[in-house]
Amino acid sequence: MTDSEQPTHVHGEGVGRRAMLQGFVGAATLAAMPGSVLAQGAPKEAPELAKLVAEGKLPALAQRLPASPLVVKPIDSLGRYGGALRRGLRGSADHNGILRIVGNQGLVKWNLAFTQVEPCVAERWEVNSTATEFTFHLRAGMKWSDGKPFTADDVVFAIEDCAKNSELYKSVPSQLTIAGKPAVVTKVSDTAVKFTFPSSYAMFLENLATPLGQHPTLFAKHYCSQFHPKYNQNLAAAVKAANMSDWPTLFRAKCGDIEIPSRWGNVDKPTLDPWILVEPYTGGATRVVMTRNPYFWQVDTQGSQLPYINQLTMNISQDVESLMLDTISGRIDMQDRHIDALQNKPTLSQNMQKGGYRLVELVASSAQQCQIYLNMTHKDPKMREMFANKEFREALSLGIDRKEIIDIVYLGQSEAYQTGPRPGHPWYHEKLARQFTQHDPKKANEMLDKLGYSRRGSDGMRLRPDGQKVFFAVDVIPTLYPDAVDTLELVKRHWAAIGVDMKVNTIERALYYTRGDNNDHDAATWPGPGGLDPMLDPRDYFAQHPQGSRYAIPWTQWYVSNGKDGQEPPESQKKRMKLFADASATADIAKRGAIMKELFDLTADAFETIGVCLAVNTFGIAKNNLKNVPVKMPNAWSWPNPAPALPQQFYFSS
Amino acid sequence: MLRFIVVRLMWMIPSLIAVSFLAFVLIQLPPGDFVTTYIATLAASNELVDQNTAAELRARFGLDQPMMIQYLKWISGILLEGNFGLSFEWQQPVSELIWERMALTLVLTLSTLLATWGIALPIGVFSAVKKYSIGDYVATFFSFLGLAIPSFLLALVLMYVAAVKLGQDVGGLFSEKFVNSPWSFDKILDLVAHLWVPVIILAVSGTASLIRVMRANMLDELNKPYVTTARAKGLSEFALLIKYPVRVALNPFISTIAWLLPNLVSGSIIVAIVLSLPTAGPMLLQSLMSQDMYLAGAFVLLICALTLVGSLVSDVLLALVDPRIRLE
Repeated sequence: MTDSEQPTHVHGEGVGRRAMLQGFVGAATLAAMPGSVLAQGAPKEAPELAKLVAEGKLPALAQRLPASPLVVKPIDSLGRYGGALRRGLRGSADHNGILRIVGNQGLVKWNLAFTQVEPCVAERWEVNSTATEFTFHLRAGMKWSDGKPFTADDVVFAIEDCAKNSELYKSVPSQLTIAGKPAVVTKVSDTAVKFTFPSSYAMFLENLATPLGQHPTLFAKHYCSQFHPKYNQNLAAAVKAANMSDWPTLFRAKCGDIEIPSRWGNVDKPTLDPWILVEPYTGGATRVVMTRNPYFWQVDTQGSQLPYINQLTMNISQDVESLMLDTISGRIDMQDRHIDALQNKPTLSQNMQKGGYRLVELVASSAQQCQIYLNMTHKDPKMREMFANKEFREALSLGIDRKEIIDIVYLGQSEAYQTGPRPGHPWYHEKLARQFTQHDPKKANEMLDKLGYSRRGSDGMRLRPDGQKVFFAVDVIPTLYPDAVDTLELVKRHWAAIGVDMKVNTIERALYYTRGDNNDHDAATWPGPGGLDPMLDPRDYFAQHPQGSRYAIPWTQWYVSNGKDGQEPPESQKKRMKLFADASATADIAKRGAIMKELFDLTADAFETIGVCLAVNTFGIAKNNLKNVPVKMPNAWSWPNPAPALPQQFYFSS
Repeated sequence: MLRFIVVRLMWMIPSLIAVSFLAFVLIQLPPGDFVTTYIATLAASNELVDQNTAAELRARFGLDQPMMIQYLKWISGILLEGNFGLSFEWQQPVSELIWERMALTLVLTLSTLLATWGIALPIGVFSAVKKYSIGDYVATFFSFLGLAIPSFLLALVLMYVAAVKLGQDVGGLFSEKFVNSPWSFDKILDLVAHLWVPVIILAVSGTASLIRVMRANMLDELNKPYVTTARAKGLSEFALLIKYPVRVALNPFISTIAWLLPNLVSGSIIVAIVLSLPTAGPMLLQSLMSQDMYLAGAFVLLICALTLVGSLVSDVLLALVDPRIRLE
């Protein structure tokens, strides 16, 4: 969230941008009138749909669009209708690959630069001064993909009847709650809906713009209510007929949830997406096909209905290598998922001509490429004492030759870095980012000697005061992050030079998680997030994420359980937890930045994680004839690329 | 004979129960469970699962209960209602998912079997009869090559050549337009056009070993007195070969039926994955990797049942073909 760039309220910005867009539409239309006949005569809807309208099988465009459709300014140029976009999916757990290309239609969305929130389903909104009441104005006349009207009732149903239903969701999704209490959603009119929170929730709009904030627009009342006991008295019979154990299972199978495969498994479910399912993503599927939504409620600056592209075809490969093969032989039009590994770059560059594609740069949203988390809450008191000592961690950090790692593993594409918002981000914190990144083995040795690790064993490695070798294992998942394994092998050599023995513990990913969950690990590594979105993923800045802040999992448990579970963290952590809560409740961006600076100061002083280098940008590919794809875009889950780059305005030039 | 079959069938029941329990335990043995794997998989694309959702998923799938309870729930569903449960990942009935893929798997396995036998039998016989001839050396050379090349590598190389050098579409069993169209004559032609690639790849390694087996068996038989006797009686060489030594040498082929049936499900997984074939193998592997208990358990159970049935069938067939073998 680099939303502090402009110290204005987010909603103000959003409306401003929209007004500007509308101004642009006017200008474009005026300019087109006397001049270009072509632009004037440009069709307002896809020929396939126009044909259906002519045959009387579909209402006319004016009846399908809302009174004020969302106007999308194409990234480079106005497009033409037609074509099928080919992408690849993996056979298992790849439902988010579909979400990332079509499913980004929340009440609000991110802008292209990932800096502020813009109107999407809601055309505008108002926030009260304490950030407890959010009123969203929907688009009059907007339709679901089956032609039924989309109104405030749908939003109320989705939240009050579904997200807040304790049988369907044991606890209300966290995006819709503040301090453990959920929002109350009320209908103001058919096109206005109000979210009321018990306390200030300044981050609500940003959270709504992320994929996990999509609940308000996920469930069509007229369709999904038939699977809800409040609206269907005969549901028990339907559950039985479908051979399901209970109604929530049936509801999920039919209406899905944000990120489960069955969201893309039912062709009958109405959505607000630019493309709708023809061939669903089910267990036996070999491909997923989606076709244009005739009721899609967005238009380009000329008033032509989007999307430009007719169809999405996503073939399911079981194996990433065969996906690569499809890519380099030119049978994929746009792809970054699964092929964006560093070691694939040479192959992809080499075959650019043959495959007829170009590379698209993906800006890393993480801060750190390979964060090393020493377990400061280790179960063994001696290990805990060693890791919890800040000077020990400092010495280890000074012992790493980062330049060598960057040159060898990352082909020179990075810079020495610890953690914190990325350079160029308004919240960039010099000390947090660069402290202890110089390579100084002499100083490191002196520090370790002073700490009481001066005795050495027969193999030249240091001994702890109790006679044990200074030794620990760093967990890493080789299948996920092969580069981290290479990096750790070099770090192992650097640390051996200062007498610290480390083992690169390559393990399978479920074991990695289990060891972390049980606090069984000595140390672990993972890319450190929060480079572009420090508010959305602050796990490296304080003990926030029970599966992510691996330097102190018990502290995170204390944090998420409000002090009931886990272990009580030290004062600095508690202060940061408090500061983060304050920042989340502060709507004023400048003030929020000031609070976060205080938090980063504390993080820098505590120096809990050891970083290696700035997260490296990756890349995807786009076919040369696929237009309106930005040259670079963020690579994040909060900004689920490429959806916020608006694939509905991509088009094929030939 | 009938008594033998009945006794064997009876024995299958305790075996299957033991196997089902073992399968369940084995699938649960790796650390973590479906939810851990699910979170880890999403995390690989930097995607987060809401904390509440993770705990909730575990409760919904009953993963927070002791293993015995989970097993009893699963097995009682199968025994009492014939219900194999819902796949955790897909939220679809397991039986539906499995049967959906069985038809194509059957086609692929049977074609591969026919191709393998069709190539291996004549070459094996030829190799044995013309021992140490140039033809024998050539056949031996190629069969060792076939044995030595891993089939997935062959698949990757073939795919690379076809896709990058020739610009052909090789993955899958159908072309783009036929994938989901209803069955028609054109679709069958399309299937045949795609089927030969995996069939050849799979047949290469199988053929190689069968040629060696056939050759060795034939060599054993050719020097036996009955062959000489038959030859002395003036039987033509071809009729003699087919009628006596080949028939005896066929025994090992019939024994292979025992593992042919389970191979329907678990055979050629890697090749199927590389070639993106819509067969059962990739789904089995996927379910094991994601620790999708019910789906994986049903697969393992199916494989075991097929093994038991397969060995029974091959025993019976052996007794029918070779009068020297007695079942009692």
